[in-house]
Amino acid sequence: MKNFYILVIIFSFTEVFGQPNCEAFKYYGDTLKYKACKKAEQIRGHYQFSKEYQKILDESISIDPTFDYAYWAKSIAYLKSGDFVTWKILIDNAVKLNPKSHLGYRGWCRYQFFRDYKGAIQDIEELDSLVDYDIGHSQNGTYHLNIAKGLCYKAIDEKEKAIKIIENQIKRNNEEDFIGAYDYLHLGVLYLETGNFEKALEALVKQSEINDLAENQYYSALAYKALKNQVEYKACLEKAKELYVNGSKMFDPYSDPMDKIYLENIENELIKVYSN
Amino acid sequence: MKKVVIIIIALIFIPLGCKTESKFENKKEYLRWVGDIEQNNEIDNSNFKVCNGDEKIFQYFNLGEGPRYNKEKTTILETFKVKYKPIKSKIQNGLIRIRFVVNCEGKAGRFRTLQSDYDYKEIEFDKRIVSQLIEITKEIDNWEILFRDEMPVDYYFYLIFKISDGRITEILP
Repeated sequence: MKNFYILVIIFSFTEVFGQPNCEAFKYYGDTLKYKACKKAEQIRGHYQFSKEYQKILDESISIDPTFDYAYWAKSIAYLKSGDFVTWKILIDNAVKLNPKSHLGYRGWCRYQFFRDYKGAIQDIEELDSLVDYDIGHSQNGTYHLNIAKGLCYKAIDEKEKAIKIIENQIKRNNEEDFIGAYDYLHLGVLYLETGNFEKALEALVKQSEINDLAENQYYSALAYKALKNQVEYKACLEKAKELYVNGSKMFDPYSDPMDKIYLENIENELIKVYSN
Repeated sequence: MKKVVIIIIALIFIPLGCKTESKFENKKEYLRWVGDIEQNNEIDNSNFKVCNGDEKIFQYFNLGEGPRYNKEKTTILETFKVKYKPIKSKIQNGLIRIRFVVNCEGKAGRFRTLQSDYDYKEIEFDKRIVSQLIEITKEIDNWEILFRDEMPVDYYFYLIFKISDGRITEILP
């Protein structure tokens, strides 16, 4: 039984947000928040889903109902179990109390877990309007929040806008020597979907240089197909299948990422190649 | 008399004013884990059994493999595309989650639903939509068997359906 809990904790993907510095509340004379914070510290070692964890945070909230961290920490298990109703009530409390700290997180989760594209855009843009610093990355670190926003615009069929947002963010990322794991892939797919096949291939080649995945070979194949390059079309599909089978494909522990493909997609395309 | 009226009014309105804030403070009765589903023989198939006991049911993401489907997700998408008959209506919009347990043999049971509009407010969809989604989900014979230390485990999984005008627009996760 003990092993079971250890495993669960190891594989529960710890959150990026750390415990707040309780001493800071004390320093600024907010004794109520200090007490709530000290209580919340007791969640350490408890699994996010467990009743012990939830009860500690309930007590923390009852000490100080304006302690945003406790609402946020409570919300995680509801998010991950797909309970969008309870999650939203809790995270809204956190956002209301501390928008700069939680808007980006809420926006990202709306996208990642519920594909709430408009809600995610709204949150990310609101955060951007509130702060004069970089709005930062998604909770899992995969994307800059602007890339996530671009993907949401794509999903609501504003593809040109999505391209501009993603191009600009990639440019900024390059200046800071940062490359998102799937940024060029998404950009390439957007070019492909808007009929710009040469630019699609350019972006997808960059993706393969950084992080070669079944997806970028598959979409490269589709671009070559559109350009009537049968040899490369076939070669990319075969490479896509090899990468897929070996596990080099898009991955997220909670939900299937946008632009992810499946073996069936590759095989259906290969059938077309061999039937020609 | 005036004072009595004021006190009565105060007693009526104070609890109402605190209702939203106290929602979680009062929620003291937790099960082992958030979202745990207990067997209810009145609604659940009594033949469905978990293999390792309720206290050892994982969440699908605890196993570190992401959402897994028997065959691939494309099969699930195709199943709903073929079987679900849209109930077209401008007012049928939002999210429907069907959560269930998958046992060590890849069989599913203890299905529960959660429904909300796109503002995450709890609502009730047209019963014909919900019942179809449940029935189709129940008809899926095999779910992925997930392992820990080479031993097959029981785990919670869910499907979230995004519904617009009564049609399925996306299936998550």
